[in-house]
Amino acid sequence: MIDSVRKTVLAILNKNNYGYISPADFNLYAKQAQLDIFEDYFYDYNNQVNKENLRQSGTGYADIKKQLEEVIDSFSVESVLTQVTPTTNQYSLPADYYLVNKLYYYSVLLASGTVTLLSAPQLIDGAANFTETIRPGDIVVNLVTNAEAYVLSVDSPTTLTLSANIFLVLGEGYSIYSNTALREVERVHQNRIFYLTSSLLTAPTTTFPAYVLSGNTITVYPSSINGVTDIKAQYIRYPLDPKWTYFPIGLADSEPIFNVNAADYQDFELPDADEPNLIIKILQYAGVSIRELEVYGVAQKEEEEQNIQEQ
Amino acid sequence: MTYISQYQYYENGGNVPEDANWGSYQWVSLADIVTNFMLMYAGNHSLVNNVERYKVLFHAKRAVQELNYDAFKEIKVLELNVCDNLRFVLPSDYVNWIRVSLLKDGVLRPLTENIQINSATAYLQDNNCRILFDAQGYALEPQYSDIDLDRLTGKTKSIYLNSGSPYNGFYGWNIDGAWYFDFQIGARYGLNTETANFNPTFRIDSKKGVINFSSGMAGEMCILEYVSDGMENGDDSAVHVNKLFEEYVYAYIQYMLVESAIGVQEYIVNRTRKRKAALLRNAKIRISNIHPGRLLMNLRGQAKWIK
Repeated sequence: MIDSVRKTVLAILNKNNYGYISPADFNLYAKQAQLDIFEDYFYDYNNQVNKENLRQSGTGYADIKKQLEEVIDSFSVESVLTQVTPTTNQYSLPADYYLVNKLYYYSVLLASGTVTLLSAPQLIDGAANFTETIRPGDIVVNLVTNAEAYVLSVDSPTTLTLSANIFLVLGEGYSIYSNTALREVERVHQNRIFYLTSSLLTAPTTTFPAYVLSGNTITVYPSSINGVTDIKAQYIRYPLDPKWTYFPIGLADSEPIFNVNAADYQDFELPDADEPNLIIKILQYAGVSIRELEVYGVAQKEEEEQNIQEQ
Repeated sequence: MTYISQYQYYENGGNVPEDANWGSYQWVSLADIVTNFMLMYAGNHSLVNNVERYKVLFHAKRAVQELNYDAFKEIKVLELNVCDNLRFVLPSDYVNWIRVSLLKDGVLRPLTENIQINSATAYLQDNNCRILFDAQGYALEPQYSDIDLDRLTGKTKSIYLNSGSPYNGFYGWNIDGAWYFDFQIGARYGLNTETANFNPTFRIDSKKGVINFSSGMAGEMCILEYVSDGMENGDDSAVHVNKLFEEYVYAYIQYMLVESAIGVQEYIVNRTRKRKAALLRNAKIRISNIHPGRLLMNLRGQAKWIK
């Protein structure tokens, strides 16, 4: 989509000889435009929820909320969090998170150890006795990479077949958790956590844990939750920065040619339906950049009309 | 509580303790209540929205506590030996007592509460009745007050009931099981019915967390029936509610959240309040197990001749 967007933007700008934007500038505007539209999805989603509550929205093809959910869910990621310091109850959130939706606590540790033999996609630990405690569906986490997989079958007391090959290096540690004892960790505001921990009825427990967020670090309560891979997050990540890549230019004044196979190529992550919005947004930035108020004005008017239509 | 196999139910899957799952199907756990409420009663299109889980948890626990106080028929029973200090320390999860009994000769004898004071804190005083203080300014206290000492040594008078004895109804002292009486002088007028009981009496000192008995209880076995609040000593995973009260707990949480929210129309608050009250009534009727078979057993006694 990114090439199509760039061509359209350039076509509009060149039509009246408004100017030209370089690939580097385009990539900057494209990033900003994508972030703008990405954020708008959350506001649009809220508007749709309010409309539903007022009985002003339909079902089936008229279910706009469902469409918005699908787009937002395409940015949903699940990841086991990294512990800040061993045996503490603090964990780091991923650098690309936009919104933490849920935190989970793996409350029942079934087994742990180290891999003694590599065989994809298996977990082999010569010192283990998996037959007694492990069942298909239980969750295996690599303590080094935080990668996780599910147990597909218990082949022998020392061997499990996993849903993914998460062990690539001999001697890596692992933990196996019960898949039936996941607890949601609730976010609590900083100014509430003191009251919460002081109250007999609401003090966080391993059944009802809580966390507070400061910076990129979460602190989980009760502090007995301090295992290396105890906490998993389901979050919405930022979209990757779009990058229109091109072949090396031979002549100084020649037009760069799009290279879809470049290693750093990155298309927009928004759905195709957002192409007009991206073009409008990029034109706005370009209009400001080349000091063409007319371009900016037209793009803004177009956006306003679209907003009215979508409401 | 997930559905489990018969083997899991009867033998806990071969694990210890074997009885871990016995009767478990009648309960719904606190974790399930909170999860179900968040799933079914809270959300974008519900009366309750944007509510923190800890608030739901708080109200769920309050509902469980309230039910434990009067609606459940769950009575806890603790048996302890009463030593020479005539004291029974209240259980750690004690909220209120139902009955205190003496277990003697294989018979359970319900004891009578003595509403008269039988224990007190005392301060040491000098000859001029001035209170004595320590270096920090606190009043000095003896180990026992006089009233406590009298009770512990059997010097407190109590009534002796034994229709076959000429001393029946006399006030006397019970010391190590033997009764001692004053010489009878003058007339006796009536009976103090509060303490007119052959068995020892007791008084609960809630502040100190003990039951103080009269002297006849020394060395005897005491059985305390009491109610708790169902919080299972802070172990959330062990808190549960009978399924007959499940819907009531949801209604209670919903009402408490709606009632304390700003901008909710009063008719909605009233609706939730009525629903809560109606569900509690229904649940109480259900759990009271009033059914024809039981009534029949009671009615069969109507023609009995009372001799």
